[in-house]
Parts: sequence; C-alpha cells; structure tokens
Amino acid sequence: MRSSQTRLAILGTMSDLHSQPVAYDLDCLRKVVADLAPDLLCAEITLDNWERKDFSRASLEVREALAPVIASMDIVLIPVAPTVKQYADFTSDSGWRRRLVYALDQLLRWGQIQADDVKTVNGPWFAAFCHTVCWATERFWTAKERAAWERQNKDLAENIVRAVQRDSGRRVLVTVQCQRLHQLIPLLHAHDDLFSIVAFQNL
Amino acid sequence: MTNHEITVSVGGGHELDRAGLAALIASLPGLRVVPLEQQLPPQVLVWEAQEGAEGLPSPSPNTAILLLTEDADYESLPERVNGLLSKDESSKSLGIAIRQVARGEQYLSPAIAIAILQKRKTKAALTESQKSAIQSLTDRESEILELLAQGLSNKAIAAQLYLSVRTVEGHLANIYSRLDVHSRTEAMLMAVRTR
Repeated sequence: MRSSQTRLAILGTMSDLHSQPVAYDLDCLRKVVADLAPDLLCAEITLDNWERKDFSRASLEVREALAPVIASMDIVLIPVAPTVKQYADFTSDSGWRRRLVYALDQLLRWGQIQADDVKTVNGPWFAAFCHTVCWATERFWTAKERAAWERQNKDLAENIVRAVQRDSGRRVLVTVQCQRLHQLIPLLHAHDDLFSIVAFQNL
Repeated sequence: MTNHEITVSVGGGHELDRAGLAALIASLPGLRVVPLEQQLPPQVLVWEAQEGAEGLPSPSPNTAILLLTEDADYESLPERVNGLLSKDESSKSLGIAIRQVARGEQYLSPAIAIAILQKRKTKAALTESQKSAIQSLTDRESEILELLAQGLSNKAIAAQLYLSVRTVEGHLANIYSRLDVHSRTEAMLMAVRTR
C-alpha cells in the first residue's frame, strides 16, 4: 500500500466559451492539462461513450481539448459523467422562469468573459460570482430538474471517489464545467480522508 | 520548459525523415527535441533504423533508445535498445513509446510484440516453478500480464483498466519479480506459454 495521499485538483471549464477569443481558450485548456500531466484525468463523458469513442454528445472540452491532449501522454482519462446531460440541458418549464434562466445564463457568460483567464475562472472571486448565479439559476428550474441535477452531481462525485479508491496515492485532475463546482466541491470535501483537494496550480 | 518535459534527439534514416520526425515529436505535448551532440545528453534517442540497429551511436547510458523500424523480424529487443516502434503506428503511439522508455521501461509495438511471440512461443514449455509463479499472481497482476501478452503498451493497459500508468508499472515490477524475469519480452513469453 502506498503511503502518499492522493492529491486532487478541480479545474472549472467554460464549455463553448473556450472556442471564443478569450485567454482561457481551448489551447490554454490543453496546455494547462499537458503541463500538469496528472496521473488520472476525470472528465465529463460517460463510460459507455468513452469506450465507444463516441464524442458526439461529449462536451466541447472533452472532444476538442482533453481527449486529443491525453492521446500521446501518460494521462489516463476516467469517464465520470453519469449521464450525457450537461448543465445547459437542465431547464425550466416555460414563461418567465425560462426567460430568467436565460438572463442568468447570459450574466454567467458575461462573467466568464470578464474573468477571461484560467486562474481567474478558478479563483475565489469568480467562484463566488459563478456559484451565486448558478445557485440562483437552479432555483428557477422545475423541482424535478433540480433533483435530477443534484442526483447527477452526487453520482459524478461518487464516480470520482471510486476512481481514487481504485488507484490511491496518485495526482488526479477533475475537469468539470464551472457550473458544477458549487455542488461538487462540498461533495468531494466529504471525502477528505481519501484525498487532499489542492488548487490546480499545486497539483 | 515545464517540469515534465522529456528531451528527445532524433537520428538515423535520411535527413528529410529526421526533420519530419523531429517536427512531429516537437508537436507532441511535454516533449522537447534537442540535438544529439550536446553536453547534456537527451533522455531519449529516437533512431530511425535502416539496417536493424546498425549505425546506432553509443549515447550516454542514461539515454534510452527507441528504434523506429519497418521490420518486424526481431526475436527480442536488440542490445542497447529500450524500445521498438513500428512505423505503422500512429504519432500518438510515438509519444507514448518515448515516455515509456524515458521512464526506464521497455516498449514494443503490438505488431512487433506479436511477431516476437509467434517466433518464440513454441521453443520451450513452462517449468513447474514457472507455472507455480504464474499461479501466485494476484487477480490484478494476472489481468495485467494477459494484456501485456496481447502486446499492449503500459498506457494502453492503464487506459483499459482505468488505472494510472505508474500503478500499472508498479504491478509490472511485481510481476517481473514474482516470475523471476528481467524484461517485458520474457514476461510476455511466459504469459503466452500458459495459454
């Protein structure tokens, strides 16, 4: 048994905004992952789709940045998404709630563009902003959608924990869309006995 | 330069081939191409074979040699060579092979590994002590040995089992020790003979 504890870092990503002219673009994401060179990379794709190499419903980050960059490196991708649904797929019924969700999403995108680089997007100020906007957005979803979103994040956290338990003592990078972070971070902190969560720069 | 960058030199073949190979290696993340004739030897020398390992220079003992070959006509790794990579493999495999030999592991392309096994597997049966050693492996070690015998690289084994490459290498070190073998080829041969 290895004595060293698993180190785990969480890197928030920005979905299709990575393909926009921002500092935290797809090249930046590829470089961050290549430079960190984690042992394991937990990413948002389902096991089934990963094994079939079907990226059609995978996030832009996995399809365009993560899968290509790990192909020639010693990084092993662990598919941790329990379902193909992403944040943008959760919504409210119709009417004013839907319009509010749209407005909050635009606000989040504005914030992502203002944050602009990988350190700021993964820093404390943007975290507070993003967590608040996403928390508020979730209030306007239907109860069923909100429950499904929470269930999905719990399952995703459990998949990460299982990967760490299977291979302890390693450097693990979790890349998830930043909208998940306010749910995922507390779920992972419940397992502080299994791994220490560090800033991505300190992995 | 990042902490994880591996220095690689390119040699052998024709000048144009070397230039193409160097450009390809430089495009892979975490690898840096350096000239061979420098004070600080590269971690890996990728040598494009024309007549087997002929003409291969004698770099520093700390430099791992990866032979790039069209030929699958080998019975084992040539002396001083740490890895054999078939030219039919993808550029991604080149990156994996360079990293594997840089860590002191051996690398064999699946096609070359299978060709070596085909040539050598009928030559000797397992002894009782070898059979017993194979039976003493844990389930995980047996699983890894089986994948090794299919010619998979350490990265491919790790990706298939959702384990890190380091963990697979740890299991391989245990397997070599338990089977009392000293190379990837020997371990593969023992695995194939148990089938």
